[in-house]
Amino acid sequence: MAFTRWSSTSALRYEAPLDLVHFSRSPKHIVNMLESHPPVGRVVATELKPSTPHQFFFWTARESPIGIGAIVRVEEQGRVVFGVVTDGFAYSDMVTPMHAVIAADGDPVAAGIEPTARAEIRLFSAAVLRQMPEEPLQPVPLGPVWLASDADVVLALRMDSYTTGDRPTGIPVGLYAAGGLESPVYLDCDFLLGPEAAHLNITGVSGLATKTSAVEFLLSSIFQTFPRHKGSVAALCFNVKGPDLCFLDQPAALNEEDRRLYAKLGLQPEPFSNVRYYAPFKGDGVNLNTLRTHDALAANTEPLVWGLHEVLDYAEVVLNRDDVDAKADAFIDFLGERVVGREYQDEMLRGKPFLVQSFADLEEFFRAIFDFMEVLGKGAEVWKTHHLATIRKVRNRLSNISTRSKGLVTDDGVAHDLPWGRFADRSVHVVDVAGLDPLAQDLVFARIVSKLREHLERRDLGVDHVVVFVDELNKYAPADGADTYVRKMLLDLSERGRYLGLVLFSAQQFRSQVQRRVVGNAGTGIYGRMDMDELATPGYATISPATKIKLATLPKGELMVRHPHFTQPIFVKFPRPAVLNSREGIERFPPATDLPFPEAVARQMRGLDRRVGADAVCALLEGRREDDVRRALSATRRERPADAYAFFAACLGRRVNGEVVIPRRGIPAVKRTDDAYGR
Amino acid sequence: MPATNLAHLRRVLAVRGLTPASAIPDASGGRTEEACVRPARLVEGSSLAWRPVGAPEAWPDPLAFLDGIQRSELIAYAGAAPIVVGEIAAAVRERDGRRLTTVLAERRVIAIARPSALAASGDALDGLESVALPEDAPPHPVRDLFNAARALDRARGSLELLVGDRFRQRSAGWLVVDGSLTESPGWAADPRMLGISKSHATLPFEGVELERYLRLPYGHRSSVYAPQTRSLAPVHAWALRLWPWEGKDLFHGLVRIEVAPLNGSTETADLLSRRLLAERAPLSTPDPRWDRLLYGIHSVEQYLRAQVRSTA
Repeated sequence: MAFTRWSSTSALRYEAPLDLVHFSRSPKHIVNMLESHPPVGRVVATELKPSTPHQFFFWTARESPIGIGAIVRVEEQGRVVFGVVTDGFAYSDMVTPMHAVIAADGDPVAAGIEPTARAEIRLFSAAVLRQMPEEPLQPVPLGPVWLASDADVVLALRMDSYTTGDRPTGIPVGLYAAGGLESPVYLDCDFLLGPEAAHLNITGVSGLATKTSAVEFLLSSIFQTFPRHKGSVAALCFNVKGPDLCFLDQPAALNEEDRRLYAKLGLQPEPFSNVRYYAPFKGDGVNLNTLRTHDALAANTEPLVWGLHEVLDYAEVVLNRDDVDAKADAFIDFLGERVVGREYQDEMLRGKPFLVQSFADLEEFFRAIFDFMEVLGKGAEVWKTHHLATIRKVRNRLSNISTRSKGLVTDDGVAHDLPWGRFADRSVHVVDVAGLDPLAQDLVFARIVSKLREHLERRDLGVDHVVVFVDELNKYAPADGADTYVRKMLLDLSERGRYLGLVLFSAQQFRSQVQRRVVGNAGTGIYGRMDMDELATPGYATISPATKIKLATLPKGELMVRHPHFTQPIFVKFPRPAVLNSREGIERFPPATDLPFPEAVARQMRGLDRRVGADAVCALLEGRREDDVRRALSATRRERPADAYAFFAACLGRRVNGEVVIPRRGIPAVKRTDDAYGR
Repeated sequence: MPATNLAHLRRVLAVRGLTPASAIPDASGGRTEEACVRPARLVEGSSLAWRPVGAPEAWPDPLAFLDGIQRSELIAYAGAAPIVVGEIAAAVRERDGRRLTTVLAERRVIAIARPSALAASGDALDGLESVALPEDAPPHPVRDLFNAARALDRARGSLELLVGDRFRQRSAGWLVVDGSLTESPGWAADPRMLGISKSHATLPFEGVELERYLRLPYGHRSSVYAPQTRSLAPVHAWALRLWPWEGKDLFHGLVRIEVAPLNGSTETADLLSRRLLAERAPLSTPDPRWDRLLYGIHSVEQYLRAQVRSTA
């Protein structure tokens, strides 16, 4: 029997007997329910506005807690239907506005003092969230309407299937609030982080606690509630603008209301405990290109530096699309497979083998080719099947990378990278690319995501799932424009990442300007306050006008959530993230000013070892070549020795003082004699 | 009152050998009046005059409105005698703070037929009140239906009286009644009851006076008069023009006001007229009688129509 099945799937599994008393099929219980929680409305159906299996209309008293987004329950004749209010209407019995004019003799003042207020109606339309029993699927019955209780919300959003049992997979995303009720809303981590579905996309205008705040809160929620039986999880965030994600490890001052919301959601209002920051250097190679340069934050802020080896595999990213024709591609492959990182012997170029490990080595290799071709003279235009023009083009482009991505790409080949293979559970890695030019940003995206993918495929990253957060998605995966490497990579990530545990959390201001397949593959969608122009685009055609208005006027901290388990979008509110926001962070931890080379090195050394004195470092650097210092600093950073100063000094080597050359005494001239030839 | 399923009734009556029928009789929705002139006696002045009532004046709360509705349907014939099921309802809605709320309501379902036809239906009509039509002549369907309509009309009047009396037991506030106060001596003498008649089938004057009566200007009332009535409840009355009639119809916006004789003074007639003028708004559209139908009365009708669902 249908009801038996209904009882077994919901009431029996959900442990909330107090609220669920009305789900019993007993008429006595229904009577009790009517007395304790009176209905707020009644379903109405007309020929023009009939009830259907997916939509219904109901009226309420003029004073009613019902609003757009409220979840309601209809119960009649053994059928329970949950719906979410999508639109509201109010009208009186006036047939035409002309009648109001006539009645007031054309005087608007008189219209306001009519002795009797016209009969009016509050009519709401609701979209069906769930029917119980689910079969046979029938039009919504014309029954009383109740405001949903906590238990109703669980059932309406089908959360009973994943928030209960031995292995729940619910991730709190916020509180559904209506009519004085507040019910936690959970996402299913199987549908948020895979493997069932995955990815999250956030849309909303800037500055209204939508994108960054929502991601910070949700990541915190994931880290606190992601079930152990689902494995480990880490996050990698690209900070693409300003100091947005620069203070994830710093606690925010939350008010009582925020703390109450956290408690209601069962979460601890704490910042992330394991965060590491990575930022490239500025052009000087010692000052980090990030706003997180305050001394107090230096301990977990590290440089991101790549050499030729790291870059060459992604040459396609940094070269213009026009550059990488088949011939150039072939030559780059040749370099990657035969030259870079290994000994390359060519007797015709020079006697000893090449060992290309840096851009400087590569330049030497190219120079040798060009010298050889010059020696051959006119008519010699092909070297090992590669045309000289192609070689020159690739050489020009590659050699310029270190210039174009100065600070990220180093000439000397010493790289400092993310801890591949050592990602810890519940760790956050923030890569700050805000100060990089777009080309370098593309390179960072491409390489890091590709490396994540490689390691997840090999299952040697250190964690089972990685959430990659990319803001300004419309910039990296635009709907229009060239099909860039990064866009293809993001598309591939959105389409196939979930099988690997590689999950894309993306955000943008205008969803309509993002490649459709990228956002379309996001199983979960979050919408904050939005621009009406954006809402007028075809992508939002299924949202009711009232819901659009609500979206356009959403207050801070409220969101609309789409999730595979929810048949309709749901509005939730969430507390302020427990981490410092960018404005507060910058005020409390103002970025350090760029320092001269010695002082900048000293600051980095102090970041590695607080005992290191700035004066000692500056003295040590006296007279040293900057390249030597960078190499020593890089080695120290890589090794992280117990005595950083001693290691650094050792890397620099013994100072070689300049030698004072004393002019040797000349050989005295031979004394003159009378010899006529001796003059 | 149990919901009446007329389709079920028809089936049951068919089983008992009666001839099921389905028709809405003429005049099933309301009372019919015979057009006539019953000359009235002027009680204000010596000749019929027009009197401006002044600017509209809000009626102080609370103010209640009483109205009733009726509908009927032919469900079967016992031989040639029709059996009609009618539904009557009456209610009082009271205004307080510009909002009307229903304070009293009554509904009845009545089976109307000759006694023999009622007997032939057996227990099929059990649970319904019954009204027996006169059986002094052989059955004539048309005449019997006419008689049934009059019986239903009377029943509705009685129900309105019942509801009005109940209201008076619980409230001493003003009650505006749709129709005449002369049906009840109590109403006719009630100092806080006022009847408004939209129908002018019975006119109080004739000749030049009638012409003057019907050409009453907007915002004016006629002289107070005492209508001639066959009932035992004398009232005082006057005509009031709620809306300009020129270019429309002589009856456009013309209502007859009835009050207890003690309210028939010039000052009280002017005061009540000013208050009624204020009740012109909001309009009771889309009712075609909106020019004479006060919104409060219209609201009671709307309420009753919503309550008296289709019983077909």
